[in-house]
Amino acid sequence: MSINIRMRGASKGGVAEIKALIKHPMESGVRMDQKTGKPFPAKYIDILTVAVNGTTAIDAQWSGAISANPYVAIQVKANAGDEITITLSDNTGEKGTESLKLK
Amino acid sequence: MKRRSFLKGTLATGAAAIAVNAGLLTPSTVLADWNSKAFNAKTTDDALNALYGASNATTSGDVVLKAPAIAENGAVTPVTVDASGITGVESITILASKNPIPLVCEYTFGAAAVGYVSTRIKMGQTMDVIAVVNAGGKLLKAEQEVKVTIGGCGG
Repeated sequence: MSINIRMRGASKGGVAEIKALIKHPMESGVRMDQKTGKPFPAKYIDILTVAVNGTTAIDAQWSGAISANPYVAIQVKANAGDEITITLSDNTGEKGTESLKLK
Repeated sequence: MKRRSFLKGTLATGAAAIAVNAGLLTPSTVLADWNSKAFNAKTTDDALNALYGASNATTSGDVVLKAPAIAENGAVTPVTVDASGITGVESITILASKNPIPLVCEYTFGAAAVGYVSTRIKMGQTMDVIAVVNAGGKLLKAEQEVKVTIGGCGG
């Protein structure tokens, strides 16, 4: 099972704003289970990269303090026809990737 | 034929070695390992020290931090950091001062990126959200207090 990513983006004047919604529980490993008194095991996205035509533009590192089902908006210098790719992985090794061709 | 492929091979590795020597490929851009030291830090200063080797960021009006004054639900606090007015932005870091893990996220930018990040973060209680921008080795920051009525870290 790979992580589900939905992304949108449009280029305007050489700068493209990319918005992405990621389906992920983002369990920080700090939250306590009231029934057992033990923390829920950590499961959160820790690395996210954004590439323009295959070249990494943004490299992000996350902690479990990003909200569940994360929303991300970033901006890159890109024009219509350029391909934007988001790649991410969580602390358990699960991965996800999604691409988009700018219009 | 053999001689030709051998020559090709040496030329390619030679070019890569020159690129490394010239500082074009710094280890941080080649290896993107999760910075466990910074994410294990218990205070914002420790986290900044682990990331940048310094924690003395100066407050700057060019770092535009947008966060709500009152967050009804701390589990989804929208935070936007706009540093596009600064040239040479290398990274943007978002910290939540009183979270058990203060470092929320760190974005490192390459040549094709604009210094702008918008996301939603979890906040356990009322605290300061701090945005730190690293531009050409200088640390600039903006701070804002967010009042949280319902905590976002369980319990």
